[in-house]
Amino acid sequence: MFRKYRKKSPWILHYNAGSCNGCDIEILAALAPKYDLERFGVINTGNPKQSDIFLVTGPVTFRSRERLVELYTQMPEPKVVIALGSCTCTGGVFRDMYNVEDGIDRYIPVDVYVPGCAASPELLIDGVVKALEILEEKTKAIEKPFRLFKEASSENGIINRRHSALKVGEKDEED
Amino acid sequence: MIEVMLILFAPLIGGLMYGFERVLRARMQNRKGPPLLQPFYDMYKLLDKQAFIINPYHTVLGIMHFLTLWTVVAFMIFGQNLLYIIFLHLLSVIFIILAGFSVNSVYSHVGANRELLSALAYEPILIIVAVGFFMMHGSFDISVIRQNSASIVPLFLLFLAFLLLIPLKLKKSPFDAAEAHQEIVGGVEIEFSGVYFEFIYIAKWLEYVFVYLLLVLFAGNNAVLGTVLFLGVFLLVNLVDNATARIKMKHVIQIVLGIALTLGLLNLAGLSYV
Amino acid sequence: MYATLILAPLLFALTVLISPLRLRNILSIVFVLFLSAVSIGMNLTLHTPVEASLHQLFHPLFILLDTLVLLYFLWQGVVKNSSLVMLLALLQIVLFGIVLSLSAALDSNDILIESTSTVMYLLINIVGGSIIVFALHYIESEAFGRFKKNAFIAILFFFLSVMNFIVSTNNIEIFFLLFELTTLCSYLLIAYRGEGVSVENSLRALWMNQLGGVAILAALIFSILHYDTVHFDILIANIEEVYLLPIVLLAIAAFVKGASIPFDKWLLGAMVAPTPVSAILHSATMVKIAPYLMLKLAPAMNGFVSLSITLLGTFVFFSAALLALGKDYFKEILGYSTIALLGLMMALAALGTPEAIRACLVLLIFHAISKGLLFLQAGILEKNFHLKYVNDINGLINHSPLVVFFITVGFASLTLPPFGAFIGKFMAIESIAAEIAGSPLYLFALIFLALGSVFLTLLYFKVLTKLFAKDMDAEAGNASPHSPTAYAEISKYYTFPSFLLLFLLVAGIYISFEKELLDSMEIIVPLLLIGLVPLLFATLLFKKAHRVKEYNCGEKEQIKLNMYYFHMPRRIKTYIALTATAALVILMAGVVL
Repeated sequence: MFRKYRKKSPWILHYNAGSCNGCDIEILAALAPKYDLERFGVINTGNPKQSDIFLVTGPVTFRSRERLVELYTQMPEPKVVIALGSCTCTGGVFRDMYNVEDGIDRYIPVDVYVPGCAASPELLIDGVVKALEILEEKTKAIEKPFRLFKEASSENGIINRRHSALKVGEKDEED
Repeated sequence: MIEVMLILFAPLIGGLMYGFERVLRARMQNRKGPPLLQPFYDMYKLLDKQAFIINPYHTVLGIMHFLTLWTVVAFMIFGQNLLYIIFLHLLSVIFIILAGFSVNSVYSHVGANRELLSALAYEPILIIVAVGFFMMHGSFDISVIRQNSASIVPLFLLFLAFLLLIPLKLKKSPFDAAEAHQEIVGGVEIEFSGVYFEFIYIAKWLEYVFVYLLLVLFAGNNAVLGTVLFLGVFLLVNLVDNATARIKMKHVIQIVLGIALTLGLLNLAGLSYV
Repeated sequence: MYATLILAPLLFALTVLISPLRLRNILSIVFVLFLSAVSIGMNLTLHTPVEASLHQLFHPLFILLDTLVLLYFLWQGVVKNSSLVMLLALLQIVLFGIVLSLSAALDSNDILIESTSTVMYLLINIVGGSIIVFALHYIESEAFGRFKKNAFIAILFFFLSVMNFIVSTNNIEIFFLLFELTTLCSYLLIAYRGEGVSVENSLRALWMNQLGGVAILAALIFSILHYDTVHFDILIANIEEVYLLPIVLLAIAAFVKGASIPFDKWLLGAMVAPTPVSAILHSATMVKIAPYLMLKLAPAMNGFVSLSITLLGTFVFFSAALLALGKDYFKEILGYSTIALLGLMMALAALGTPEAIRACLVLLIFHAISKGLLFLQAGILEKNFHLKYVNDINGLINHSPLVVFFITVGFASLTLPPFGAFIGKFMAIESIAAEIAGSPLYLFALIFLALGSVFLTLLYFKVLTKLFAKDMDAEAGNASPHSPTAYAEISKYYTFPSFLLLFLLVAGIYISFEKELLDSMEIIVPLLLIGLVPLLFATLLFKKAHRVKEYNCGEKEQIKLNMYYFHMPRRIKTYIALTATAALVILMAGVVL
C-alpha cells in the first residue's frame, strides 16, 4: 500500500570505503543548492538503521571490508546499494593493489553501478533515480545472497583477483 | 468537540509545520526544497520498512515518549495547568533519555546525555515563564491565560528568554548539539528504526506544536497578535538556524541559563514592583 | 492513646530483648502492626487538639535522664578521646544547670497533639515499623551475639518511642531531653559495628547534634528570661516581633537535626556507615523532626526570619542536589537528596502560608515513604548483590526485576506526577510564586527551587538509566565479583516492607485524589501512562522484529559504557558551606539587632 512512497523519500547512507574523496565531494555538490537532491526528499542520514539507499564510494580497502558488510546488514529491508565511481564498481585505478578488494560487489550485492572518476552529480542523480525504480520493486524479505566471485587465488604470496569472476550459471568450487 | 479534533490532528499539524519549515529553509538557501508533504511521505515509507530493535526496553520507552508528548499537547489544548504541563513534558523527555541510555551505543549515550543537559538548561526557564504568567494573570491555568488580554508587553523580557529556548527545544542551530546530525548522528534517535522510528519522528512534530502553543500564550486572547507572533518567530528561528553554526553543549548551557535566567529574573522582579 | 504510642514501644523493646529468635520475629511484626494500627486510629479520630499534663513525679525523672545522657556523652568524649564531644557535653551541662536554676511562671500543658503530630505518628510508626521488619532479617546476617542482635531491634523500638514522644510534647525542656535521646540513638546505631569508620562517623554525628542541643538550651534560657515560659504554645502565642531569639535558636536546632548544609556531614556519615538500617531510619524518620519543629515555629516568625529561612532552605535544596551529581555511592546520593528535600520542607514550613504548609506536609509524608522504599532497596542491593556503587548496578533488570521495579517507583515517586512528592513540589512552586508579588527576594527562592528540582530529576534518572543498561560484563562472561551474576532470591522480610511502602504510595495517590490536590485528569492520565509501560512490555513481544546490534560505525567490537559524573571542584563545596554559614550568621545577627 505504501510502496509508492518509497520513491518519494529515499534516505541515504553514505559510506566511504577508502575513496580518494573525489566522489564524496560530488555527493556534497549534489546535495548543495545547484543540484539540490533534497527536492526529491533525499536526506543524508548517516545512520544505517533509518536509510534506504546505501551509497558506497571507494575501492574497498582491506581494512574497510568488514565495516562495509556490517553496515549493509544493519540496514533494514527494502534497501538498494549504489556503487558510486569507477573504483567502487571495479577497483578503478587501484585494481590489483595488495590492499584493495577491487569493488564492493565482492562483498555485498549491488543494484546500481555509477561509473566515473569522479562520478558527476548528474550521474549520481541518474543513479539514484534508477535505484528508486529498483527499490519500488523490492520486498521486505531479506535478499538471498549469491556469489559473483570465487576466492581470490594467491601465488607466491601475491593475491590475484583478476580471473576470479564467476561466469553466468557457474558455481563456486568451494560451495 | 473542536478541541478533540485538534488533539487528534495535532501530529498532522506538526508535520505540516515541519514540511513547511523544510521548504522555507531550502528557499533561504536558494534551493527548491522538498514538497510540502515530504514529512508524510517519510512517515508512510517508514511504515513499509523492516523493523529492527535492539531490546524491548529501548523500543517501549521510545513509544512512551511519543504518547506522553501527545498527552502534553492534549493538556495544552484543553487549557490545563501550565506548571503541571511543564512537568509532564519533563516526563516525556525523561522517557526518551532513559531509552537513549538503555542501549549500549556510544552515540545514543552521548545524545541522551546532551538531552539531559539541555533539559537542565530549559526546564528552569520554562518554570519561570509559567511563574511570569501566574504573576500576570493570577493563575497557572492556560484557559485563564487565553481568556485574558495579551501579556507580551509586560512579559517582554521573558518572551526574549523564551525565544532563546525555541532553538534548543526544536534542536536548531546554534543550539542543536543535542542532535548534532553530523557528529553523533541524531543522538538518542539513532538506534530506532522502521515503525519504531516513526514514533520518534512524529514526536518531533509534536514538539513543534508544543513549543508554538506555548509561544502563542504570550498573545493571550488576541488571535491576530498570536498569528503574527507565530509567523514572525517561525521565520526568525529558521533564519537563525540557517545563519549560525553549532556551538558546544557547555556553551549552550552557559548562554541559555546565563542570559535567559537573567532576563526572566529581571522581568519577574519588575513585575513584583509594579 | 498517645500514651500507648509512647509507652508500648518501650515495653516492646524490653520484650524483644529477651525473647528467642523465632518468637522475636513474630512478636516484632505483631508489634509493628499494632503500632501502625494505633497511629492510623489516632490520625482518623483526632479532630480537636488533645492537651494533657504529665504528673509532677515525671519531671525529676526527666531531669535525671537528661543528666545521665549528658554525662554519658561526656564519658564517651573522654573514652573516645574526642575533645569536641567533651567540650559540647560540658557546655550543655553548664547550660542545663542554668536552665534548672531558673523558673518559669507561665505554665501550660506538657502534651499537645495537633493534626501535624498525628501525621508524624503515621510516618514514624508505619515507615519506621517497616524498617524494623526489614532489620529483623538483616541483623541475622551479621556476626554478633544473640543479645547484641536483640539489642539492635530493641534500640529501634526505643527509638520509635522517643520519636512518638517528641512529636507529642509541648514542653521545650522535655523536647530537649528527647532531642538528646534521638542523638543518643543515632550515636548508638551508627557506632553499632564498632569499627574505625563507624566510630568516627558516630562521633561526628554526636558533636554536630550536640550543637543542636546547645541551641535548644540557649533558646530555653532566653525564653525563660524574656517570656517566662518553657512551653511552645505560650512562647508562640506571646511572641514579640522584636525578640525572636528563642525561635531562631530553635530553628537552628532544626537545621542541625535536618542535616542542612553546613551541618550535612553527620547524615552523610550515617549513610556511609556500614549499617543500612541506621541509614534508613535516619533519612526516612529521624530527620523529619526538623520540618516538624519548623512547622511548629512557623506562626511565630516575622517577615525577615521567614524570608531568610525560606531562602536558606531553598538554597540548601539547590546546592545539595548539585553536590549529589558528583557522587557515585548509592546511599550517599540518597543522603544528599534527603538533605535537599529537607531543606525544601523547612523552607516551606517557614513560609507559613496555608498552601505552603500543606505542601510541606505532603512532601513530609511522601518523601518518608519514597526514601524508605529506596533505602530498603539499597539495603537489599548491599546484602543480596553486594552492590554499593551506582556504576556496578549495570543491567540489574536482568537479575532482579522486582528490585528494579521498586527503585524505579521510588525515584519516579519523588519526581513525577501523579505521586505525592511531585504534588508537594508542585504546590511548593505555586506557593512561592504567590509570595513573589510581596517581596522580590522570593525570586531567588524560586530560582533555587526550579534549578534544584531539575538537578534532582537529573540525578535520579542518571541512577535509573544504569538499571536498564545492557550488562556487558555478564554477556562477555567475565563478570567481576561485584556485579550481580544470576537471578537472586530475596528474603520475604526484605520484600514485605517494600510492598507495604508501595501500597502506601498507591494509597497516597488515592488520598490526593480524594483531597483534590490535583485535577482528577491530572492524576489519572500520568498514572495510565506509567501503567502503560509494563503493559507494553507484556503485550509487545517483538516476535516479528529483527534484533540487531547497536550502530557503532560498523565496528564489531563491543564497548562498555559507564556512568557520567559531574566534576565538583572542592571549592564549590567550600563556597556552598560558607554561603550557608553566612546566611545563618546573618539570620542570627538580624534577629539580635
